[in-house]
Amino acid sequence: MQTIENSQIQEKIYTQKLSNGIKLIIIPKKTQKKYIIWGIKYGSIDHRFKVNEKEIQVPDGIAHYMEHKLFEQENGTNSLDVLSSLGVNANAYTTNNHTAYLFEDNNNKFFEALDEFMNYVQNPYFTVENVEKERGIIEQEIMMYDDYPDWKVYMNAIKAMYHNNPINIDVAGTKETIAEITKDKLYETYHAFYTPDNMAIVVCGDFEPEQVIQEIEKRMTLKNTNQTVKRLYEEEPEQIVKKREEAKMNISMPLFMIGYKDEITCENQIKKDLALDILFNILIGDSSELYQSLYEEGLLQSEPTFIYENSKTYSHILIQGQSEKYDQVIQKIETGIETLKKNGIQDDVFDRIKKKLYGEYVKSYNDVGAVATSFIQNYFREINPLDYFEEFKNLDKSYTMQILNDVFKPEKQVVSIVKSK
Amino acid sequence: MEKRDFEIKQGIKAHFIKTDLFKTNMISCIITVPLTRENVTKNALIVSMLRRGTANFKTQLDLSKELENLYGAAFECGIDKYGDNQILRFYMDSIHDKFALNNEEILKSTMNILLDIVCNPLLENGTFKEEYLKLEKENLAKIIKSKIDDKDLYAYETCISKMYGDTGFGLYKYGYLEDLDNITVANLTEYYNNLIQNSKIDLFISGDFEEENLKNSILNNENIQKLRPRIENYILNNEFTESKDIPENQNEVIEQMDVTQGKLVIGMDVGAKCDKLQFKTLLYNIILGSGANSLLFQNVREKESLAYSIKSVYVKQKGNIFIRAGIEIPNFEKAVELIKAQLEIMKKGEFSDEDFAAAKEYVKSGIVAIETEQDTGIVYYIGQEISKTNTSIEEYLTNIEEITREDIIEIANSVKINTIYFLKN
Repeated sequence: MQTIENSQIQEKIYTQKLSNGIKLIIIPKKTQKKYIIWGIKYGSIDHRFKVNEKEIQVPDGIAHYMEHKLFEQENGTNSLDVLSSLGVNANAYTTNNHTAYLFEDNNNKFFEALDEFMNYVQNPYFTVENVEKERGIIEQEIMMYDDYPDWKVYMNAIKAMYHNNPINIDVAGTKETIAEITKDKLYETYHAFYTPDNMAIVVCGDFEPEQVIQEIEKRMTLKNTNQTVKRLYEEEPEQIVKKREEAKMNISMPLFMIGYKDEITCENQIKKDLALDILFNILIGDSSELYQSLYEEGLLQSEPTFIYENSKTYSHILIQGQSEKYDQVIQKIETGIETLKKNGIQDDVFDRIKKKLYGEYVKSYNDVGAVATSFIQNYFREINPLDYFEEFKNLDKSYTMQILNDVFKPEKQVVSIVKSK
Repeated sequence: MEKRDFEIKQGIKAHFIKTDLFKTNMISCIITVPLTRENVTKNALIVSMLRRGTANFKTQLDLSKELENLYGAAFECGIDKYGDNQILRFYMDSIHDKFALNNEEILKSTMNILLDIVCNPLLENGTFKEEYLKLEKENLAKIIKSKIDDKDLYAYETCISKMYGDTGFGLYKYGYLEDLDNITVANLTEYYNNLIQNSKIDLFISGDFEEENLKNSILNNENIQKLRPRIENYILNNEFTESKDIPENQNEVIEQMDVTQGKLVIGMDVGAKCDKLQFKTLLYNIILGSGANSLLFQNVREKESLAYSIKSVYVKQKGNIFIRAGIEIPNFEKAVELIKAQLEIMKKGEFSDEDFAAAKEYVKSGIVAIETEQDTGIVYYIGQEISKTNTSIEEYLTNIEEITREDIIEIANSVKINTIYFLKN
């Protein structure tokens, strides 16, 4: 067991490699709430792969379908119901690069719930009937997303950036693709990816680390297989697909999203996260002159949001906002970027934003669920969140400026608009 | 967790929620007023005007910079509807002083800023700034119009207004477009001055702090000293609006809009409204439609695959339960039928012992969250303060524990559908 202590934020973290190879991260916290999240490095982008030389293409949306179906048990029960009846809040989610199963316990039923939890993740039970039954529910979920303008503006930005990378497909698939999902395909995919070397578990709450390790080991049956699995990704050109994509929906005010397709680099992700966060704040954050002037002119009512998504096969940043005069706002943001490149960052502004980010970092350790989720997400990005404070201290203006020049390139920019009908 | 209240002045209270579970201190300052057609829009506008600047921090830019220097203290404000009352909410969330890198007194500073925002607005020649009001009216108009953007929420709000009309709980919390024209800097400032000197004001502070110190710093705050004592009863809405009596054969409302998925809301009246019954109704609602074990989730989603999202929400201030579902449009009648069948199951007491036990565990888990989530804790005590109840967490747990199956059946038989609203294309 490894122990890492961060005295600045007064947290101690324990990590252990379990006997089958799964990485376990324990973050003890004195609170009645206990949280566990089990992550699998398998998401919607992994739709083509090779198992021992045999190439397999699975229908879009299968990772998400699996997440729904894994709760089904051979004895006819559904683990979600079993967990709920213990009073724990159980859930699961799928993203483009991982799937996660989790529960939160407030009733001192953690280890009781752990029985069911570890049982269902390790023992899939797919039948023709139970797979069929889920189709209607997932179709409804897909339709629900179709009515979300935020989702539309995001997917269109992604599609404008990526030619081939499967991040350009919907996580849940479409009505057509999920029609092709069968029990055999689910089993095949499960056995290819639900293996210890693709997994990590994070627990957060009032735990004795030694005890948790034992309790989890005790319930662990999963073994690595001797098959070799290779994920296949299409070659992705550096250029964007198209400059602009527009859609129309029944909304009161248009949404806009600016995306910058970024190069995939192996550099320090925490440092880059921080630099981008600082840049975004300086550019269009709460305390920026640009945001304040757009607000005064009635062009923006709230600050745009900022997202940085990256993995080994894609990398981009997105700025999303809402405005009637979106083209004016986009143009002013572009001018802001060029001005910042030319004039550089003022010292006092840089230091102030750093103070803000430090505060946000401390706050991010408040809630057991948020802590566990961020550890799992960062694990699959190959980031150790504990390095954050060290990187934070060392972050300087010149690196931040370098990121500005590397990422915000006009020829890599796309714009996605959802207009009002 | 410990909670202690003290009266700063008549009608103005501080509520200290002491807990060492968090890295943050949270302050919520709320002004509670009756929800009326006359004032609803003005109240929403007041919140927008106050965040524009104070006599000390003249612009939003000044405020933002100051908060960033306090390690990104987060300020938020908003408007809430709580039964027949409207809440103007101002909220500050900052890291604990012990994490400050240069020994700053963060909590004291954020408290002073928050009180400055609420009590000491930027005025020009004695009134709000003309230019700010013009923009904030436009912004509020946009918010009011954006009601249609979130179709689920739109359907829910519309169902409520069908049930209550233009009074109290039936009103939209952001107000109405047609009211904006008549609001001027003069009448809005006058309204604000009256509001700040006569309304019920409550400060909730959750976190790890030295009580006496904080108490003194509140009492010595200039803005607090300027406030007069006020009669608390004057401000709370003691009128309880009733939902409209709608005959069963006329209770269906269907509206059309461009949606992919139909949004169904069924508004129901619960016959019984006294305190003890609220706990029972709460549990009834869980068995019916909250969480994975509920009848609605199991039978409408899992068995029939008719919906991805389906739940029921209990609004205890009004004694209403709303069933909300996203369904495929042609399935409307089938879904309503199936939902009605679940209500019948509840009436006949045909829910299982397991469902009953699971619902109690579910509620207990939620009660624990009051202590383990800082904002949930504050929201809980705000609710207690406004409904003038004082249920401790232990009492809450006991009340739930004591509920029997018969109690639930009794509630089930007092539940009556008021309005069935469906949004389709």
